Amino acid sequence: MAVELKDHQQLAPADPVSAAVHLGTARHEGLSERFGATDPEPGLELTRNARFARLVRNRKFQFLLIVPNQVVFWTVIFVGIAGTAIPGLNFGAAITWYVWFCLVFVMMVVVGRAWCAMCPFGGFAEWVQRRTFWRRTQKALGLGRKFPEPLARLGFLIPVASFLVLTWIEEFFNIAGPGNPADTSWMVVGIVSSALIFFLVFERRTFCRYVCPLTTLIGTVGSMGSVAGFRTKDREVCLSCQTKDCMRGGEQGYGCPWYTWPGSADSNLSCGLCSECYKACPEGNVGLFLQRPLTSVVAPRRRRADVAWGIVALWGLVVYQQFNATNAFASFDGWLNRNLHFPHYPNPVDYLAVIGLVALCTAGLIWLISRAVGRSAVTETQHGSFIDRTSRFRSFFVPMAYGLIPVVGADYFARQLPKFFKHSPRVVPAVLHIGGFSSTQSSLYGFHLLSNGWIVVVQVAIILAGTAASAWAMWRITSRELVPVSRNTVAIRLTTLGLVLASGAVAGVLYVLMHAAS
Amino acid sequence: MTVTMTEKQSSGAGRPHVEVLVDRCAGCQECVVRCPVDALDMDVHRWVAVADDDRCVGCRQCVRTCPFSAITVSGPVLAGARLATDVTHPERLVGDLSEVRHGLRSWDDALAEAQRCLRCADPTCVRGCPAHNDIPGFISAIADQDLVKAHQVLRRTSVLPDICSRVCNQAAQCEGACTWSLAGEAPVAIGQLERFVADNYETPPPECSTTGELSVGVVGAGPGGIGAAWALVEGGASVTVYERDPEPGGLLGWGIPDFTLPGAVADRPWRQLQRAGVELRCGVEIDADGMERLLSSHDAVIVATGASVPARLAIPGADLDGVIDATTFLKTARSALQTTDLEAWLTAMDLDGLTQLGRLGHVLVLGAGNTAMDVARTARRMGLNATCVDWLDEQFALARPDELAEARDEGVTIRFASTVARIEGDGGRVRRALLVPTRQERADRLPKVLQRMAAEELEIDLVVMAMGYRADPALREALPGTPVRREARGVPDRRWVASGVLANPASAFAFHNPVGVLALGREVGLETASLPVRERLWVVGDALVGPATVVEAMAQGRRAATALLARRPSRRRFSVHSRRVLVCYASHGGRTAEVARLVGEELADKGLFVRVLPVDRVGTAELAETDILVVGSWVKGLVVAKVGPAPELRAWLGALPRLGGMPVALFCTFDVHPCSTLEEMGAALTARGARVVTASGLRRGGTKMSAIAFARRVLAGVRELEGTLSEPIGSS
Repeated sequence: MAVELKDHQQLAPADPVSAAVHLGTARHEGLSERFGATDPEPGLELTRNARFARLVRNRKFQFLLIVPNQVVFWTVIFVGIAGTAIPGLNFGAAITWYVWFCLVFVMMVVVGRAWCAMCPFGGFAEWVQRRTFWRRTQKALGLGRKFPEPLARLGFLIPVASFLVLTWIEEFFNIAGPGNPADTSWMVVGIVSSALIFFLVFERRTFCRYVCPLTTLIGTVGSMGSVAGFRTKDREVCLSCQTKDCMRGGEQGYGCPWYTWPGSADSNLSCGLCSECYKACPEGNVGLFLQRPLTSVVAPRRRRADVAWGIVALWGLVVYQQFNATNAFASFDGWLNRNLHFPHYPNPVDYLAVIGLVALCTAGLIWLISRAVGRSAVTETQHGSFIDRTSRFRSFFVPMAYGLIPVVGADYFARQLPKFFKHSPRVVPAVLHIGGFSSTQSSLYGFHLLSNGWIVVVQVAIILAGTAASAWAMWRITSRELVPVSRNTVAIRLTTLGLVLASGAVAGVLYVLMHAAS
Repeated sequence: MTVTMTEKQSSGAGRPHVEVLVDRCAGCQECVVRCPVDALDMDVHRWVAVADDDRCVGCRQCVRTCPFSAITVSGPVLAGARLATDVTHPERLVGDLSEVRHGLRSWDDALAEAQRCLRCADPTCVRGCPAHNDIPGFISAIADQDLVKAHQVLRRTSVLPDICSRVCNQAAQCEGACTWSLAGEAPVAIGQLERFVADNYETPPPECSTTGELSVGVVGAGPGGIGAAWALVEGGASVTVYERDPEPGGLLGWGIPDFTLPGAVADRPWRQLQRAGVELRCGVEIDADGMERLLSSHDAVIVATGASVPARLAIPGADLDGVIDATTFLKTARSALQTTDLEAWLTAMDLDGLTQLGRLGHVLVLGAGNTAMDVARTARRMGLNATCVDWLDEQFALARPDELAEARDEGVTIRFASTVARIEGDGGRVRRALLVPTRQERADRLPKVLQRMAAEELEIDLVVMAMGYRADPALREALPGTPVRREARGVPDRRWVASGVLANPASAFAFHNPVGVLALGREVGLETASLPVRERLWVVGDALVGPATVVEAMAQGRRAATALLARRPSRRRFSVHSRRVLVCYASHGGRTAEVARLVGEELADKGLFVRVLPVDRVGTAELAETDILVVGSWVKGLVVAKVGPAPELRAWLGALPRLGGMPVALFCTFDVHPCSTLEEMGAALTARGARVVTASGLRRGGTKMSAIAFARRVLAGVRELEGTLSEPIGSS
């Protein structure tokens, strides 16, 4: 901060380097068009509160977020392996599958990447990489390699693939059932080890950005959240900044581990809420902002094909997870296993087939819509990257996939509820059992928060809420992005609304069928 | 702008291809604002950078500067071929002192080479140059065929273009940091272009405006002294230079042979300085006591004594007859060559008998740096054989690469990776040396002597220790804070990082050290030179940073002189001339920052020039532009236990350079009791040579009034320090 310089430059010897530097002017065209809809209002800046700002600026901020989770998950690992084999009484299995997954979803929907800010897996690996718990160090441990470009070009698709693989493993070994608690521990150990290896080989949070199984799910579902993330207060200051400490790292903060620049962030998709940019900015031009719910779904001007394909793939996975609970699927999977000589559920063929079918059917429907109502004059670029290439199909598919985020998110959330409502009270006896004070005879062990019938009601209600949110988001997206590329406004509005309602109906009906099967 | 390419390159196997990783490109435009050929632009709809391969010349500047590594460039670097300049290989070496390296032959050559310069928006060559010459600026002037303007551009930062262009190791400096060089291609011949300017239009003399109000003594007439005297005389000071040798110039005079730096070129600065009114007193030795006398007779003193004590290798036989140092050799040989009386010199060195025996004398030169090359090449001109021995591996050699090649061309044997274990003699006179091999694996590690390997015997007649020079230990003791460790502490200036010069891979021409890191180290010396080591006393050049280069010494001399002129110290009374206040603070919860802001506003209201900065943004450069320093800290501790200044302030105080009598005011903000916080801060600053004028602890509550009262105490303290002033500060 300079209080007053008063011709100070005349007194100081001219810096010869600065005198020789003649940087070009940053492009300012189209700023309001590009960011007008996504820039949060100044009044929604959380860091305007001095106490909160002080907390966020403190280098121990993220450490304090991570430490409790770190304690819990090391306990999960230890108790899962060394504790009782009864899943409901084992703290490791109980906390992970009855409570944690559900809480993560709540955090996603409300905050965005709140879990990423406190994640013990990436957090632990980052401590090792930075060689400190919270300080700003200048030399990282490890090789600091860049993630290979051919893989980085796939954006959020690799994490989707790793999520599919992890989910299949989890289903195959019945980890989340929960089955043997030690399996839960080994799964966590596997994730921590993978994270550590990636953090030691690659720079920044390459693991979290390009590999972590949860990153696409948290990023997309989290874009419904009301926290916009760390954004610029004044974009002109960012554009004229010659140091970009928020990206490269400065005295007080590391360069963004997530490869996000507050100066151009238009959604919370890739903001890990780590606050490093806030700490690093020497101008104090970065703030933590709130936004209206669904803003990061509806408003971003730049849509990404990898995110769109990720959403339909995730949609396929959650539909599979509903479908696999029906009698029809159990019969089919058993028949397939017998004929393919595969030991038991889930057969990888029908696993991938169902997911692929749902994803491709969704994409196919959108392709039909694009053919039916789309203008043929949509600009097509075949030479761009996978993420940004445009075509008539893509100009419909990518925004419409974003519009499906709320219903997909709601489906994932609803899918976690039975375990939470039926078994979350078991966490109390599981905690006590670590000290040898509890057993399956505990009253809380058999206590259910809701009965099966009410659980289905809640699930369907959540699907309805998700469908309504999707319908609203799709309506806004259609108005801004699809109507201009459509021949018939009424037709595009009806078809997009129909897609949302059909998706919601599929999810809702499957929950009823699942209930009937159980 | 226009970039010329050879026909082969423009039509040949492919052009550079720029790939922007759109997943990671954040649209920060660091590449766009730096691309020298406008090959990068923004797609404002997607807000990512887009590249035009047809414009790209493959310089990879975008790759180096992208904060997220989102750009790759493949394909060739379209740098035109660098013009080769002539190097004379004297057919008859003995007695020949003619200059070996030649400049560009003609305007056509100069224009062709100037066209290779990309005129980078963020010129890394400027950071690579120790003096920070505006290299694209003067090359543009050459392209416009305007040598007057080229001199004007160079004059802003250098007064020795003719000398630096001849003696600088451009490969480790400007040319090593040239964009083409960082991309792996031949850099623009910056040194040759600078020499072309200097050789084809006389370097302008100082524009003196002596008023005599400020009397400054400069100790040493080498490059550091020249730089300082030049800036001082142009700034209106009355300058007296004290030189130990009978002739001015220091190393430029006797240390660099005429075949590298002709005497007429080396003498030019002093001819002009003396004409401009600089008083030169040669043959005057200034010791520690003499320094005190100078301080009492001048308003300020700049010490630029250089490093003139030759380093010696303590090995058995080092005390035999026929073992001499480089200074003795170079001085006597220079004199002999100039008077063409080689026989007398050979007789003095006891080498005259060898000719009668039908063989040439053999000189063993210890070291293979630039001084050693000068010695060995001079020995060849004295009619002797010369062998240089250096324990470094050749890839980490300290000599200029062209100097090594020229020396070998002239018949000098250079043996890297070996060292002298022992010198043996007959009758007290050297006769042979035992060499043992060494091994060095990294530039930053000393070589290992392989004792178990068989030693090799070498017949010799003269040994010259040419392992560089050291500053006079006695003088160093009298100059606190020297030499300075040239390590950039903490996070380097972010603009250096943004330029990409620090991210470049090691240059094969820069001792296998990244040129950016070398340049940043030099920057530490340059910034430190602007601060006095004690009140009214500045130190520059080798005396400040240890053995370095001509251009560094000159640049530091100029920087110190500029700082001195801004401060205008007086031997009659303490004064604060420019009234620049820096309020720096370490704040935890924002209260200390708020007090700092209030103090700054109050001082600004009194007409002072105030900056308020957190301590992590205050380095030597900021302190150099400060006359009054105000330091504030929050108090760390548990009620009354372990109470003291903030950890970040402690670290900052520990890394402070000498403050040379700067008035300092201290404050801390506390809740319970500051205990000895202020005393600890005061002790650290006093140890750095600061004068504490006031110190206050400010308790929570009543912050504004306390801050205003403290600011007034600062003014009163400085006034008291100043004694009687005709125009007290704060009165305006």
